[in-house]
Amino acid sequence: MARNGNNGEDFIAPIRRLLIGLLVLVLAAIFVVWRIDSPRMERFRSAVIDTVVPSMDWAMAPVTGMANMLADFQSYQRIHEQNRDLRRELQQMRAWREAALQLEQENAKLLDLNNVRLDPALTFVTGVVMADSGSPFRQSVLLNVGARDGIVDGWPVMDGIGLVGRISGVGEKTSRVILLTDTSSRIPVIIQPSGQRAILAGDNTIYPPIDFLEDPDVVRPGDRVVSSGDGGLFPPDLLVGQVALGNDRRLRVRLAADYERLEFLRVLRSPPTEQISDPGRLIIPEPEAEVAVPFGPDLPVEGTDG
Amino acid sequence: MAEAASARIWSKRAMFGVIAFGIVFLQLLPLNTVPKLWAMPDFLLVFTMVWVARRPDFVPVLGIAVVFLMADLLFQRPPGLMTATVVLASEAVRARAMGLRNASFGLEWFTVALAIAGITVGNRLVLALVMTPQAPLGLTLIQMVMTILVYPVIVALAHLVFGVSRPAPGEVNALGQKL
Repeated sequence: MARNGNNGEDFIAPIRRLLIGLLVLVLAAIFVVWRIDSPRMERFRSAVIDTVVPSMDWAMAPVTGMANMLADFQSYQRIHEQNRDLRRELQQMRAWREAALQLEQENAKLLDLNNVRLDPALTFVTGVVMADSGSPFRQSVLLNVGARDGIVDGWPVMDGIGLVGRISGVGEKTSRVILLTDTSSRIPVIIQPSGQRAILAGDNTIYPPIDFLEDPDVVRPGDRVVSSGDGGLFPPDLLVGQVALGNDRRLRVRLAADYERLEFLRVLRSPPTEQISDPGRLIIPEPEAEVAVPFGPDLPVEGTDG
Repeated sequence: MAEAASARIWSKRAMFGVIAFGIVFLQLLPLNTVPKLWAMPDFLLVFTMVWVARRPDFVPVLGIAVVFLMADLLFQRPPGLMTATVVLASEAVRARAMGLRNASFGLEWFTVALAIAGITVGNRLVLALVMTPQAPLGLTLIQMVMTILVYPVIVALAHLVFGVSRPAPGEVNALGQKL
C-alpha cells in the first residue's frame, strides 16, 4: 500500500491519487445510473440480495432465534404481573368471544340471505422473514419467497391479522416487502363506519398518519381502517388497523399487524382487479369501430358526428 | 521475515473484511421491525474510520469501496453515493494519518468527526441536488452524532480486541521500511 511517507515512495502518490479519482468517478457513475435508470439498477440490487442473503440464512436464522429467546427470557422477570394482566384480558376476551360468535352467526345468515359472494380468488403464499432493511431510515423486510413461487410486484402482504405492506422488488428466491411504516409507502384506505376514503402515508414511525381525509370530523379514534380497492392496487377490505389520535393532534393508525415480531408473512395472490373501461352504452353513442349493441335502443349513426 | 510480515498484514486486512461482514450481518438480522425514534451509530463507518486513522495499511481503499458498495446494495441506499463519499473522506483521513500518529487523541477524534460530518452533509447535499426522497433530517443527525460519539469506544475495542493501534516507534512494514 502506498503511503505519503518520507521513505522514497513519493512517486507513487500521484498515480495513487489518479486511481482514487477514477474509483470515485466510477462510483459516482453508478449513482448517476441508478438515478437515471432506477428500475434496472433496482433489479440488479435485488439480484445481488437474492444471491447474498439466502447464503447467510443458515447463520441468520439461529442468531435471530437466539436473540428472540433472550428477549423472551427477559420477559420472565415480569411474569407475575403479566399473568395477572392476561387473566383480566382473558376475562374480557371471553365476553368478546360470545359477542363475536353471535355476530358471526348473524353475519352468516345475512350473507346467505343476500347471496353475497366473497372474493374466492384470494389465496396466499406464506413466507418467512429473512432480513430487514438494515438501516433505520428504511422500513422493509426480505421474504424467502420470490419469483419462483409466483410472487408478483405489488401484491399485499399480511401477517395473521392485518396488512403489513406490499411487495416491492422480486428476486428469484427472495422478495422485498415495503412496510406500511416506510416513508415511501402510500396505501388507499377506507375508514369504517363513516366510509371516508383516505391515504395511509408511512412516515418512519410505528403509527403512520392518515392523509387526504375529506372530513376529519366524522372520523373518531377507534374507527376501523381497512384497505380500499381504489386504483386497483389492493383487494378491498383487508384490515389495516384502528384510528388513533397522535400526540401532534394528527389522526394516525394503530396497525393491527404485530410489527414487534414479523416472522411469518402471507403474500396475498391478488388478481388484477377488473377495470370498467367501456362507457355506458345506453346513453353515450358508441364509437364507430364497435358493431353490436348488446341491448338498448338503436341510435342513429349520424348523431355521433354532431 | 518479509513473507511473515506480509502474511500478517494480509491477515489483518482479511480481519477488517470479516468485521465488516459481521456488522452487515448483524444489521440485517430482522430483530426489530418497529421504526425507532433514534438511530444506531453507523458501525461500518466508524470501524472504517478507526482503521484508517490508526492503521491505514490495514484497509486498502479498494477494500473500503467494495465493502461500502455491498452495504449500499444490501441496505437499500442509493448505490455508489455513500461509497464515493466514504472513499473521499477516508482518503482525507488517510492523508493525515501520519500526522495524527503523534497528535493527541482529541485532534484525531476531531479530524474523524469532521470526516463523518462531511460524509453526512455530502450525502444529503447530493441527494437534494438530484431530488431523491431523503430520510428524515433529525434521524440522520442523530445517527451522525452517535457515530461520532461512539468513536472512542471503537478505538478502545480495536486496541484491546483486534490489536489495531497506532504503530509504535520503530515498527517496520513488510519491506523493512519504517512505518
